[in-house]
Amino acid sequence: MVLYNFKKITVVPSGKDFVDIILSRTQRQTPTVVHKGYAINRIRQFYMRKVKYTQSNFHEKISTILEDFPRLDDIHPFYGELLNHLYDKDHYKLALGQLNTARNLIEKISKDYVRLLKYGDSLYRCKQLKKAALGRMCTVMKRVSPSLAYLEQVRQHMSRLPSIDPNTRTILICGYPNVGKSSFINKITRADVDVQPYAFTTKSLFVGHTDYKYLRWQVIDTPGILDHPLEECNTIEMLSITALAYLRAAVLFVVDLSGSCGYSLAQQASLFHSIRPLFANKPLIIACNKTDLQPIETLPESDALLLQEMKREAAKAGAGLVDGAPPDEEGCLLTMSTMTEEGVIAVKNAACEKLLQQRVEVKMKSKKINDCLNRIHVAVPRQRDQKERPPCIPQAVLDAKVAEAKVLEKRKLEKDLENENGGAGVYSANLHKHYLLLDPDWKEDIMPEIMDGHNIADFIDADILQRLDELEREEEEAAATAQAADEDEDMSDQELTAEETEALLAIRRKKKQILEEHRLKKSTADNKPVMPRKHDHNRQFNTGRMGQHLSSLGLDPGAAVERIRSKSRLGRKRERSAGGGDDYAMDIDQQPTKKMRARSRSLSRPHTEALPGEGYKDSAQKMKAMKIAKKAVKQRNKDARKGEADRVHYNLKPKHLFSGKRGTGKTDRR
Amino acid sequence: MRLEKCWFCSSTVYPGHGIQFVRNDAKVFRFCRSKCHKNFKMKRNPRKVKWTKAYRKLHGKELTQDTTFEFERRRNRPERYNRDLVDQTLNAIKKIEEVREKRESKFWESRMKGKKSQERKEAAVELEQNIHLVKAPGAMVAEPGLTLPKQQVKMKVKVSMPKQQQIQAVQE
Repeated sequence: MVLYNFKKITVVPSGKDFVDIILSRTQRQTPTVVHKGYAINRIRQFYMRKVKYTQSNFHEKISTILEDFPRLDDIHPFYGELLNHLYDKDHYKLALGQLNTARNLIEKISKDYVRLLKYGDSLYRCKQLKKAALGRMCTVMKRVSPSLAYLEQVRQHMSRLPSIDPNTRTILICGYPNVGKSSFINKITRADVDVQPYAFTTKSLFVGHTDYKYLRWQVIDTPGILDHPLEECNTIEMLSITALAYLRAAVLFVVDLSGSCGYSLAQQASLFHSIRPLFANKPLIIACNKTDLQPIETLPESDALLLQEMKREAAKAGAGLVDGAPPDEEGCLLTMSTMTEEGVIAVKNAACEKLLQQRVEVKMKSKKINDCLNRIHVAVPRQRDQKERPPCIPQAVLDAKVAEAKVLEKRKLEKDLENENGGAGVYSANLHKHYLLLDPDWKEDIMPEIMDGHNIADFIDADILQRLDELEREEEEAAATAQAADEDEDMSDQELTAEETEALLAIRRKKKQILEEHRLKKSTADNKPVMPRKHDHNRQFNTGRMGQHLSSLGLDPGAAVERIRSKSRLGRKRERSAGGGDDYAMDIDQQPTKKMRARSRSLSRPHTEALPGEGYKDSAQKMKAMKIAKKAVKQRNKDARKGEADRVHYNLKPKHLFSGKRGTGKTDRR
Repeated sequence: MRLEKCWFCSSTVYPGHGIQFVRNDAKVFRFCRSKCHKNFKMKRNPRKVKWTKAYRKLHGKELTQDTTFEFERRRNRPERYNRDLVDQTLNAIKKIEEVREKRESKFWESRMKGKKSQERKEAAVELEQNIHLVKAPGAMVAEPGLTLPKQQVKMKVKVSMPKQQQIQAVQE
């Protein structure tokens, strides 16, 4: 089934735009640079290329347009007629013909000028030739521009035509203006056609789709037809007439019984009779609309007579369609009201059924049917005797069905309950009432989920009681055995006495103290010098303290204190010694020894004199040794000032900074 | 509504608390607070982090295998509601809790049992080895016990001999 889709036609540019497009493309896509110094062949080639390129572009574009527009003779006659009525076949053909001629002309121009270019002897001459060629081509196009404009209009309108498949199942709705055709199509399909009280609201064909017996049906709404001869019909009416003429469809002739469309039944009847020849070979149904305003029973006599006549004619036409069936008068005339929606579906069904029958008949008569029939085979059991064997349904099932039907009628639905209790937002359904529990009293119970930091659902078990009993038994046994074995080992003999505990605590305290002091010392390391005695203004380092410390340790301080006191020179007068060699720095012991004397003697000599017991070779060596010793003891200067090790001569003019070119930038600053 | 367990520290996560992280392999990790969450993000193994239940159970600090733990099992098939059963369960939960608490405290006691004797032994050793910090060896000779020395009275000693006499004594 080819669906006619006119939306794919390329846009037709106006004359000026056409020219602009082609010329700019030539400008962009061909080489642009040529000098008069080039070889003449090269210049000629350059310009020939331009001319040929322009011509080929024109050719291409015009060809696409010509191919995209449908040829009225090649398409389905329905569309051909439609397009004819809408756009005038002659004008259409003329426009396309003009475009074709333009194409040929352009080709000729290009051929001529290329021939001339072959003999161009200078750049200037070639350039002029090319200019002339392009200019002529553009003028040709400009002459054709009205056709182009017309074709663009046609294209735009065509793309908006409804896509009607002329070969599929179709229902055509026709009748006088304002009878209710558009309302009918709105009711049975999803089409949204304008419905207004004035005549000729529908100005073109509208398509809707509906379903019947699992098949898709096209429903076409037409503009109303007035009763005058064909020659006097305007474009809009011609649309419906074309549709009637060329589409193989079921025709639904809508009649307005009440006359509220503005035309009497007589006029409608006369229209019916005048377009009757168009209904040949088409299943016809007369639908009487607006029965809510004028029911068919109360129709006046004359109108009823007219209707009868129409019905007879319709039946006669219908008889010709299906062979063997008697003319069915009643099936032709149906009543409906699109306002109240009664009878609408019946009308649609009737129309669809009639068309279906006709189509099936046609298919049956065609040759292709045998292929279909060959594939279908219905197996029927062969009758072996005359016994009747009807289907057997047990009585219980039949009774149950009846009872169920009764229950369904009487049952109160949840929806009703909801509506009673305040509607959707207010009422919330009680889902608990359908629960199946052992005891129906439990239906409204709320089960606890959490207790004491546990999920209750994790504990639920059918035999929880039994397991709990086991647990308790275990517990009792464990308790009993625990009591039997429960006796603390008597460790009173290992306990420390009170004094020993005291000593232990003192030890711990002392350890802590030592640790703290060590940590302090460690953190300050070499930074904190030992306070020399001469700065001990508070006289903290005295014998009293020492004595206390010693006695706390359990020693007798008397001897130590005495010794110190005798040796210290604080508070003693300095006495010059007679010998002049006695150093008063030296404390006099109660029992001086000779050894000490010898030491003091050595101090009265020059300090560089190498004495025999000291181990020096000569005084020079001793001097050197003393010097080295002094140096080794020298304290490091921690004032953060430059020291001996810091007198380093750096490279004040490194070569890489004072020579060479830079990678980027200037070198006027170094 | 369910109480979940924190993946890191195994404490209960009550509704409205904590963070749930779903990994690309659809494994869900629940955390009770940002501490656990941050530890998880740092890829720490809860079995190595001291304060978590996982560590404690692994290192035998807490009761691991016990029949009371088998009562609480995650059941995937919900049972039909039965009021009596729920009633029994609620009472049972309380009793199970009591039993579990008792067992845990007993476990703790058995863990701590040898502590007292250990402490005493250590104290004795410490006392013997470090008595020198508070009692001089000289005093140890005098009183051999492991106790603090008796406080001694400080003796003030005065040197009465003048220096002149001392020098003369020396020269002699």
